[in-house]
Amino acid sequence: MTSPGAARVRQGGNLALLLGPSVLLIGVFVVAPTGYGLYLSFTNTQLTGFAARNPQYVGLDNYSYLLGSDDFLESLGHTGNFVLWSAIIGQTVLGMLAALLLGRKWLRGKGLFGAAVLLPMVVPEVVASLTWASVLSPRDDGTLNRLIGLFGAGPVAALQEAPMLCIVVVNIWRGIAFAMIMFQAALEDVPDELVEASRIDGASAVQVFRYVTLPLIRGPVFLYLLLTTITTVGVFGLVYFLTQGGPGAATQLTSIYIFERAFQYSQIGLGSAASVILLVVLLVLGLTYVRLAKVDV
Amino acid sequence: MRNRAVIAMAASALVVSGLAACSGGDAGGPVTITLLEYQQARADAVQELIPEFEAAMAAKGEDVEVELVTDVLTDSQFQTKITQQLHSGTAPDVIDMGGSHVTGLAGAGYLLALDDHLADWPGWAEYYPQVKAQAQQTDGHTYSLPHEAGVQSIFYRKDVLEGLGVDTSQPRTWDDLIGRLKAITAKTGQPSMLLPAGTAWGGGTWSEGFLPIVAGTGSTFYDPNTGTWTLSSEGLSATFDLYHELTQAGLLPVQDLLNPNPWEPTKYVKFPEGSLPVVAQGTWGWRYDWGPEGAAPIEDVQNKVATWDYPALVPGTEPYSVSGGGFAYGVNAETEHADAAVELAQWLSSGSALARQLVAIGAAAPRSGISDLEPYKDEPTLLDAEEKLKTSVDAPEGDGADQVSQAAQNATEQILIGKADGAGAASSFASDAADLLGPGLVAK
Amino acid sequence: MTATAERVAPPRQYVRARGQLPALTVVQRTLQYVLIALVALFCVVPFAWVVLSAVDADAGPTVRTPAFTLTNFVRFFTEAGTPRLLFNSLVIAIAATALNLAVGLLGAYALSRFRFRGRRLFMFSILLIRVIPAPATFVALYLLMVKIHLDDGYLGLILVEAATALPVTLWLLKGTIDAIPFELEEAAWMDGSTRLGAIRTIVLPLVGPGLGAAAMLTFMAVWGDFLTPLVLLQSPQLYPLSIGLFRAFSAFNQVDWGVLAASALIYMVPPTIVYVLLRRYLLRSSLGGALKG
Repeated sequence: MTSPGAARVRQGGNLALLLGPSVLLIGVFVVAPTGYGLYLSFTNTQLTGFAARNPQYVGLDNYSYLLGSDDFLESLGHTGNFVLWSAIIGQTVLGMLAALLLGRKWLRGKGLFGAAVLLPMVVPEVVASLTWASVLSPRDDGTLNRLIGLFGAGPVAALQEAPMLCIVVVNIWRGIAFAMIMFQAALEDVPDELVEASRIDGASAVQVFRYVTLPLIRGPVFLYLLLTTITTVGVFGLVYFLTQGGPGAATQLTSIYIFERAFQYSQIGLGSAASVILLVVLLVLGLTYVRLAKVDV
Repeated sequence: MRNRAVIAMAASALVVSGLAACSGGDAGGPVTITLLEYQQARADAVQELIPEFEAAMAAKGEDVEVELVTDVLTDSQFQTKITQQLHSGTAPDVIDMGGSHVTGLAGAGYLLALDDHLADWPGWAEYYPQVKAQAQQTDGHTYSLPHEAGVQSIFYRKDVLEGLGVDTSQPRTWDDLIGRLKAITAKTGQPSMLLPAGTAWGGGTWSEGFLPIVAGTGSTFYDPNTGTWTLSSEGLSATFDLYHELTQAGLLPVQDLLNPNPWEPTKYVKFPEGSLPVVAQGTWGWRYDWGPEGAAPIEDVQNKVATWDYPALVPGTEPYSVSGGGFAYGVNAETEHADAAVELAQWLSSGSALARQLVAIGAAAPRSGISDLEPYKDEPTLLDAEEKLKTSVDAPEGDGADQVSQAAQNATEQILIGKADGAGAASSFASDAADLLGPGLVAK
Repeated sequence: MTATAERVAPPRQYVRARGQLPALTVVQRTLQYVLIALVALFCVVPFAWVVLSAVDADAGPTVRTPAFTLTNFVRFFTEAGTPRLLFNSLVIAIAATALNLAVGLLGAYALSRFRFRGRRLFMFSILLIRVIPAPATFVALYLLMVKIHLDDGYLGLILVEAATALPVTLWLLKGTIDAIPFELEEAAWMDGSTRLGAIRTIVLPLVGPGLGAAAMLTFMAVWGDFLTPLVLLQSPQLYPLSIGLFRAFSAFNQVDWGVLAASALIYMVPPTIVYVLLRRYLLRSSLGGALKG
């Protein structure tokens, strides 16, 4: 870990020269906006209307407004649901399934199956949304409607009738690959001998997974859950493209709520306060992650 | 090599702000004015006029060039974008926009007050008083030059209604109209009237759906003297009840309204094919939507389509049409060439240039002196709208209209998705709008 | 993932049952084939529309048998606005990736080879920064960029994108450089090489895999980004493909589905190529978790 010669090196100028650009970039474009957002959240800054001419310090007004606003609390609820069903349940189950199945030695066509699962992760999110817009099209010949038509069910306007379910499915679809990659890495550390021995002792595949494999990969799985939670809270484009938060506010995630407040209603102060609340939640999750990940520096 | 990269990086990040700040104006050379259009048809119409304007200026010895910026946007996209551009000082010199956008932008100080320029301009005296009154903002100044007037009416497919045996005379009351709509729906099995509602339609829900109905109820909605909005009234309650009744009776195309781009399946498919034969709509339907070069042309539109005034909603009122919704030119307050920019706006709002734009869009003239000019004089539907303008009801617009519009979109959406009835929507509208407006803009 | 299978020893059970598989095993395996096939289908089927409509002369918003044509692609490259979108995406993604790698390589070298106060804190801080998603900062970022006159331009967007991806790049490259023995550099100094010279001759050739992985992650993140350009750019001539596709999809008038699908297909190509070429460099480390793009 420690580079033996490092201490002997003349530091000072070199260090500033080498690390300076990184510090500058991150400082100006990541840290400064965060701090500035905190400041804005205590003002009633607006972009339009007569009130925009002299923004004022309003203390905690924005926060008390948000915490008493059904719209905002609902958006937090939507984000919570979205994370729970798409990331924690959907992606994890299907990702684990894909990782286990692709780990079978007798399975042929691993490359093909693997590539298929990876495709949704590799394409840009706008393309992902676009493909699903065609699947979920309310028209009779939309892919979903053709599919359920095979079972005799009538055409549905899925994005209107079950909007939350739709965006959950889309996000599961997009995230299977990442879960799979993470779990494959974890499964590599499970000794084959152990699994084989349990099988010979008569344990079923489910029992082997439950009592042998899972305990061994619990750590990585938990880290994955934390990480996917954090990234899923940040999802914006995938959902905005498909529903723009609607119908009603049925798919208004907090990220979309912030965008609409700040840029459609021009209420920068309020939008910033919502950002800060989101940020605090994420930082708590993030700190937990950094502590548990025990990353080596 | 790496050294140079580091220095270049650090330097650029630090210095860029300074550089970008010092872009100076060029004195002496030709003056270039940028003009933003966000609807393709308007851009096409103006594109042809620009060389004439430049020639007219050259004849006066002024070297002015106009650069047309065409960026096709929906209303809410435009709203977001122009706000950002004006805020950051990167907006074009002249902005052509729907009248409902003007208030919010003028309020924030982004638009140039045109009072002095207009006072010196003979053309302004020819504007109809209603148009002038609407263009004036709460602070008493005028920040935009309207170049068209729209009249909101109820458009219907005469051929379809006659085919179905439904009365096409002017309905006196909404009950009367709803009776006819039910008859149509009973025969076709489909929704029969499009009234913009919900959030997907954006500003149209406000200016083409909600506002025209409220305006005819006689209840005070916006009071220009106090600059405040009255958020609950008999008229508002009646309006929400109407939306609820239309929704419950299956007369509105609810699914289409909830989709993104709700105008596509309705105005551009079902009205032209006749399966959704009644649409609340502004004058521009004649050209912009259904004209020969419109988004969804209807052959022989003049004979197949006709208009009604809005029927009376509240007892004691009469059928009416509503003026408003026309576009206006605003001038960026930070423009370096204010005189030339205003001159462009005035030139485009005069004479043959105006007549040609009005026909391209399908709007009534906001001023006298145009009705005998080619090609406008050959458009009976537009001339008729200009006539109606003189007796139409004003749609109230004031500071905070954007916010009230948002609240109306949300409340009507609640009705569409079945989460609220008329009274529920009215009360959620009142609290929502009060929230968005803040205390200063709400009537006690 | 195929590598996973190759490395393991032949399973005992397989050796024992070389001849006929028991019937139960056959059923179980068939079932598992069906399962993985279903998952794969679920992942692939949504792409049917993009692929079919891109070569369809009268494409609509849904899947149909295409009337085969390549005109959608021809139109993409010949229409007024669309080639510009591709050009902008390339400029922004390539410049941001190059800047990110250059800055990241220098920073990672310092973090790996220098002991200084606050180093651990810095490493942990940027890991934490990595978890802050754009929706938590973009409002203030926008106003800040306006204030320093970096909004609505290539430069501002490139700087923001490079900075956003920097924490991951720093972590990845630091790990890679840690693995390069410092003695090699010292030996080069003995031979009269300067510090920078030693970096160039010793570190740079060995840091390749890390750079490849960082390049892949950064390029894909920038290429696919939708929110940052949506907020920072207002001029249509600057729009990247992500915004162009969104605007074409939500156009006020009729959508041109064929060109839209062709654009989407073209938009998919670079990240797919980059992924296929560079994914073997993607390191599996304790950092693995921080890598999701």
